[in-house]
Amino acid sequence: MSARGVLAELLWAEKYRPRSLREIVNQEEIVKRLQVFVKEKNMPHLLFAGPPGTGKTTAAHALAHDLYGEDYRLYMLELNASDERGIDVIRTKVKEFARSKLPANVPFKIVLLDEADNMTADAQQALRRLMEMYVDVTRFILIANYPSKIIEPIQSRCAVFRFTQLKKEDVISRLKWICSNEKVVCDDRGLEAIYEVSEGDMRKAINILQAAAALGEVNVSNVYKVVGLATPAEIRALLKSALFEGDFLKARDNLRKLMVSYGLSGVDIIKQLHREIFSSEINMPEEMRVEIADYLGEIQFRLVEGADDEIQLSALLAKLVLLGKPLRQQAQAKPTKVK
Amino acid sequence: MSQERRTPWVVKYRPSRVADVVNQEEAKKAFLSWLDSWLRGKPEKKAALLYGPPGSGKTSLVEAAAREYGLELLEMNASDYRRASDIERVAVASSRGASLVGARGKIILLDEVDGISATADLGALDAVMNLISRTSHPVVLIANDPWDPKLRELREVCLLIEFKRLTKTEVKRVLQNICRSEKLDCEDEALDFIAERAEGDLRSAINDLEALGEGFGKVTYALARSVLGYRNRELDSFEVVRRILTSKYSWQARAAASQTDLAPDELIQWISENVPRQAVDPEDLWRAFESLSRADIYMARIVKSGSWDLLAYASDMMTAGVALAIRNPQYKFKWVKYGFPEKIRMMSKTREIRQVRDDLAKIIAQHLKCSTSVAKSEVIPLLKVIFDNNPEYAARLALGLGLSDSMIRYLSERNGDRIVKLVEDLKVQLRETLLGGLESSAKKEAEKVKPITKKVQRERSRSSGGLESFLKK
Repeated sequence: MSARGVLAELLWAEKYRPRSLREIVNQEEIVKRLQVFVKEKNMPHLLFAGPPGTGKTTAAHALAHDLYGEDYRLYMLELNASDERGIDVIRTKVKEFARSKLPANVPFKIVLLDEADNMTADAQQALRRLMEMYVDVTRFILIANYPSKIIEPIQSRCAVFRFTQLKKEDVISRLKWICSNEKVVCDDRGLEAIYEVSEGDMRKAINILQAAAALGEVNVSNVYKVVGLATPAEIRALLKSALFEGDFLKARDNLRKLMVSYGLSGVDIIKQLHREIFSSEINMPEEMRVEIADYLGEIQFRLVEGADDEIQLSALLAKLVLLGKPLRQQAQAKPTKVK
Repeated sequence: MSQERRTPWVVKYRPSRVADVVNQEEAKKAFLSWLDSWLRGKPEKKAALLYGPPGSGKTSLVEAAAREYGLELLEMNASDYRRASDIERVAVASSRGASLVGARGKIILLDEVDGISATADLGALDAVMNLISRTSHPVVLIANDPWDPKLRELREVCLLIEFKRLTKTEVKRVLQNICRSEKLDCEDEALDFIAERAEGDLRSAINDLEALGEGFGKVTYALARSVLGYRNRELDSFEVVRRILTSKYSWQARAAASQTDLAPDELIQWISENVPRQAVDPEDLWRAFESLSRADIYMARIVKSGSWDLLAYASDMMTAGVALAIRNPQYKFKWVKYGFPEKIRMMSKTREIRQVRDDLAKIIAQHLKCSTSVAKSEVIPLLKVIFDNNPEYAARLALGLGLSDSMIRYLSERNGDRIVKLVEDLKVQLRETLLGGLESSAKKEAEKVKPITKKVQRERSRSSGGLESFLKK
C-alpha cells in the first residue's frame, strides 16, 4: 500500500467493514434477498431491525455500493435520527436530495436513516409522508434496534429485515482474521473475553480488539484491562459515595463530571451503573442489587419519556442514599459501641 | 459653581501596582509568569487572552503590570480592528525586536476582541492571528466571552487566563476606601446596595458611587435606591428557594414560587441544586427528589404534547410537593448556605472542552457510520485507552482520522504533547515519501518564504477534511 497506509491508521471497525454484499459473511438469508434487489435494480422501502453491531448499517452501505458502484455516496443521503435536529431538518435535506441527479442505470436514490427508532411518533408520521412524497425517485432504508418502536404505517410500507445476534464463532473468526491481517498476537481466551464483554456487538468487539492490541497482545488480561480503563472511575465512585457514605453532594459531583466532561447521557450512565451493581467487587446484599436494578429501569423509562438527565439521576442518587442507610448503620455499629 | 474638570473615579482609583488589583490572585500569578517568560525570551504562547465578566480587573491588571515592569503599553480598541491595515501597522511595529526601538519593551493590548464581528470585520481576525505569529512583544487580548465560536482559532494560540466575578464584599471594600479618601459621607447600607446591584462589576459600582457622591455630596440608602433604581426581581432567587423548602403548608410554598421571575425550568434547577442541603435526612431527600422528578416528568410532557395546562401540576410538585417532603424537624428549618445551580455554571465553564469532544465525536461518527452518542459512550473511552498507553500507535490513528491538536490533548492528558509531536513527524515523513526528490525541496523552499500562512492552512485542512485534503495540497 501507499505511504499513507503505512504511516496513518484507521479504526479497524472502519478498515475491516465489508464494502460489498459479497463480503458479508453472516446474515446469509438477508444478503441473498438484498442481492436480488441489486440484480433487478429495484427495491421497496426497507426496514433493517436488530441488535447493535449485527451489520445493519454495513448491509445498507454494501447494498448501495453494489447498486451504484464505488461512488455510491453520490446517490445516498445518510442521516442519523439521533444527530439530526428534528424532522424539519430531515425534511429539508430529503427534499434537496430528491432534486439531485439520478444515477444512470438505477431509477432511484437511497435515503439511509439510522437509529430511526429514536424518532417520536409524530416525527415518524411526518417521515411516512416524506416516504410517500418522493417515492418516484427515492427509496428509504430505515435502521432500528427495536422494530416495535417504528409506527405501524411505516412498517407496513417497508420490507422488514430482521438481523439476528451474531454467533459466537462468527465473531471470533472475524476477530482472528483481523488479528492475522494486522499481525497481532492473540489467544482464544482473549478473543472469547472480547465476545463476552461486547455481547455479540461486532463494532464494539472490533473496537475493544484494537484497544487491546494497542496494549501489546490480545489476551484475557489486556482485554479486561481495556474494559476497566474505558469505564470511568466516577461510575463506581458515585455508587460508593451514595450507597456506603451517604454523601449525596459528593455523588452528584461525580454524576456531573460524567455528564459534562465525559459527555455521557443519562441513559449511558444508567447502563454502566447497571453493569456495576452486579459486579462482585461491589459488596452489598443480594436483594439490594435487584431493588436497585428495578429502580434503574424506572429512571431509564422516565428519561426515555423525555425527562431531564440531571434531575432524574439525582432522584436515583437520593434513592441510593436511602437504600444504603441500614448498611451504613451496620458499619458504624461495629467499631463504636454507641452512647 | 465652576469646578475644574475632574478625572473620573474609575481612572483616579485605578490600581497602580499589581498588588492593588482586587482579588484575582490566580489570574495575576498566571499573567505575571507568562510575562516573565516573555522577558526571559521564551514564551510558551505568544499571546494571552484575559477573559471574565466586565469590571473584574482585566485591563487594570495589564496596565499595572506594564507600569511595574516599565513596559510601554500599545493599546488598540475594538473600533481599531475594523481596518485590517491598522492592525498591520501595529504588527509591523511589533515585529521589530526590542533592541531596535530602544531600551523599553512593549505590551500590545487588544481590548474587546469579542467585539470583532466575524462577518463585518472580515480579515480583522486573520490580521490578529498574523500579528500574534509575527510579534516579538507580548500580545494581550481581552474579552468578556472567549467561547464565541469565531474566536476559536485565537483561543488555540493564546494562553487563557480567567478572571472571576468579584464578590459583593470585595466591591464594597473598594467603595469604602474611595469614600474614605474622598471624605465622602456614605451610609453602609447604601454601599451594600450599590455593591449588590453591580453584580461583581467594580467599574459600574465606582461609577454609581461617583454619580451619587458628585451629584449630592453624600451617599445614603434612600438616595441610592431612588437614583439608581431597584432591580426587577421581586425576591432574590436564594430567598425564593429558601421559602419553598422551609414551607410548612402547601399554600406557603406555592405563594413563594409566585414571587419570582425565574422560569419554571430555571426554578427547578435552583430547587434541585439546594434540596440536598436542606433535606439531610435520607427519607426526606428521597421523597423530595421523587417529587421533583414528578415535576420534571410533567415538564417533559408539556414539551412533548404542547399542553401548557400541565404546568400547574409541574409547579405544584416542585414547590408544595418538595416542601412537604422535607419533614424531619431537625433539619427542616435550619439555616444552611445555598448555592447557585452548579449545572448552569459548569455548562459555561466547560464549553471549550465540550466543543472539542463533540467535534471529535462527529469525526468518529462519520468514520464508523454511527451516531455521535455511540461515538462518545463506546468509542472515545477506548481511544483514550490507546492514546494513554501507546503514543506511537495513537499518532498514526490521529493522522488517519485527521484529529486536531486539541482533540489529541483531550484524548490523553498524559501523552498529548508527545503525540502531537509524533503526528508532526509522521506528516513530514509522509510528505517526503509522497513528493520525493526535487519537488520536495521546492516545497521546503516555499515553506521558508511563508511559514505562517502555511501553518494556518495546515491547521484548517486538518480540522475540515483531515488527511485527504492535507494530501491534495
